Amino acid sequence: MTRPITTKIKAQYYGEDLGASEGLLVAVARLLDPLAEGEALEVATENLSVPDDLRVWCRRAGHRFLNATRENGKSIILIERGFVRRTLADPPEWGVRMPRRGETVDMRDWQVGRHATIDEEAPIAGSLAPRGASIEEGAPTIEFSIRKRSDIWANAISELYEQATSSQWVGARDIPWQELAPLDEEVERAVCQIMTFLAENEYAALYVPARFIGQIHPHFTEAALFLSTVMVDEARHIEVFTKRALANGGGLGVASAATQLSLASLLEPKDFSTASFLLSVLGEGTFLDLLAFLEEHAPERATREICRRARQDETRHVRFGIAHAKYTIEADLSAARRFGSAVEARAEFLKSVSGVGALIEESLIIYSGGGMSPSSLRAGTKRVAQLYETMHANRVKRLAAAGFNSDQADHMSRLHTPNFM
Amino acid sequence: MTNPILMGAVAYDPKVVPIWDGIREYMKEAGPGMDYVLFSNYEAQVDALLSGFIDVAWNTNLAYVRAQRRTSGHCRALAMRDTDVDYCSVIVVRTDAGINTLADLRGRTLALGSRDSGHAAILPLYFLKRQDIDPQRDLKLMRFDLDVGKHGDTGASESAVLNAVASGQAEAGAVGDPFWAKALEERAVDGDKVRLLWTTPTYHHCNFTALDSIDESRTTPWVEALLKMDYNNPKHRPLLDMEGLKRWLPAQTEGYRTLFEAVEEQGIG
Ligand SMILES: [Fe+2]
Ligand SMILES: [Fe+2]
Repeated sequence: MTRPITTKIKAQYYGEDLGASEGLLVAVARLLDPLAEGEALEVATENLSVPDDLRVWCRRAGHRFLNATRENGKSIILIERGFVRRTLADPPEWGVRMPRRGETVDMRDWQVGRHATIDEEAPIAGSLAPRGASIEEGAPTIEFSIRKRSDIWANAISELYEQATSSQWVGARDIPWQELAPLDEEVERAVCQIMTFLAENEYAALYVPARFIGQIHPHFTEAALFLSTVMVDEARHIEVFTKRALANGGGLGVASAATQLSLASLLEPKDFSTASFLLSVLGEGTFLDLLAFLEEHAPERATREICRRARQDETRHVRFGIAHAKYTIEADLSAARRFGSAVEARAEFLKSVSGVGALIEESLIIYSGGGMSPSSLRAGTKRVAQLYETMHANRVKRLAAAGFNSDQADHMSRLHTPNFM
Repeated sequence: MTNPILMGAVAYDPKVVPIWDGIREYMKEAGPGMDYVLFSNYEAQVDALLSGFIDVAWNTNLAYVRAQRRTSGHCRALAMRDTDVDYCSVIVVRTDAGINTLADLRGRTLALGSRDSGHAAILPLYFLKRQDIDPQRDLKLMRFDLDVGKHGDTGASESAVLNAVASGQAEAGAVGDPFWAKALEERAVDGDKVRLLWTTPTYHHCNFTALDSIDESRTTPWVEALLKMDYNNPKHRPLLDMEGLKRWLPAQTEGYRTLFEAVEEQGIG
């Protein structure tokens, strides 16, 4: 048989003696994919079954087997591409290359190719796929309620993500647990109550992002990935605070009704931005000062290291919270009012909560004073009073960084829950 | 739509329900509408066609031939799959059996699918005979009569044939070419054990069969809608994939001649 002259051979493959089911069909299918209907692939083979195998396969795959000719011990097969698109999707990308950052490849540099396009609003039809991947027609669509960029985004989010993943630590390994030794009983009791309180707050910090993460459109993948690191951080905080309460002869303390009420109110906001503002800017922000205080006055090295490491993680969470609030307010000024009324509403709801609670406050005094002797209590009382002032002053600074003026910031800071978080 | 087509299909696999539910839905949107009923075997389906219980039967080639014989040719094929046009049977052999030509099959064991399978039993024997391989005289036949009544649709007997050859129970076997192509594509064929020896001439496989008395104003819109199904449409693709085609074609019938002869010759009736 002779080749039809009209057929355009656009691809060739020499299969040696490779059998159809030994991998030859992989090459044939992949080489036919990019051809246009009517263009041809030429396959040369020494395998005697391959011509018939390919003829039979072409029927199944929707291509046209034109002919097979024998030439000095080889069969030459011509296959014309049929009308069928194997995948109902745009062709994949090619030639995309992220810049290197020294030895590494960093998320800050991954805005390349189709992946670089970040829309202000993600498509209603969502997919569990990287931004910029070619989604096949007919794939199911998934609705994600967070699909406006300003509802989830923060500047420098990729940098925060890289920081987060490179700063991970291990609760069992990175805390000097071996140095734990019996403490003064009053101090241990205070440590245990504070650790219980910290752990309670960490549950809120874990469950708030957990409630939103599944609603984030994967178009804003950086946000979903960063919040995943937050959740891992919070899990580790729960772990180490709980371990510390259980590890040195004391045990878990009281979860007070006031603390629980305050934390429960963090689960109220239905939109991520408001929830994040209350939790991360105000709550975790205040926690930074608390953790620094606990680190400074820690009775032993394990507790100090726990507080130091948790504070480092929290610094990142607060940076995200402020950056997100700023981004949201810049995109939509009414967001500032929304945050303001959320703070007012929460203060109204928490009216019955007049202070951090006797158990916590007393524990902080004993902890920071170093015991229950008169001189210890005098020192501790002063230190805790100083802590409250520091907390207020820093909250005002963080609110200013998020975009509020000094009057608004001062007002909001004063309305913030006395429960710290 | 008044008096839409009632079609019969044989339930050879659970996927038959989503296939025809999907096409029924498509037909509703396309205009002509349709409904379908399922039979457990082709003989009952042909009876239902001839008695007028169904308008159209989605028939295998054997069911079509039987319907034509029973009505003295008063049936009409309406449409078929693109894959039904150039259907063939594949003779596979044990790679190490030293079988390089059809003549080498003499004296060997040939595994066959169900006795009512056109592609895995009836036509392979018919075509081998025309290559001067007389099944009675030259071959030891190993038959896998599985799912009789379903005319080989389930593929169970073809699997058994392939296994028999791969394991060395039989030196050769016959299967339909779609079964072989699928096995190749799924890399389920070990080339060291089984390979293709020969393919038979092509013939037609399934078609939609009606009595020739049916009003064309009922069948024409239905066939036209069928031909409009598009494999590049993501809604149609899963249905067509399950049914094993890329597009529907108007029926051709010259490719059934060989099966008419084979049925006569082998006394299958
Ligand atoms: Fe935390
Ligand atoms: Fe946190």
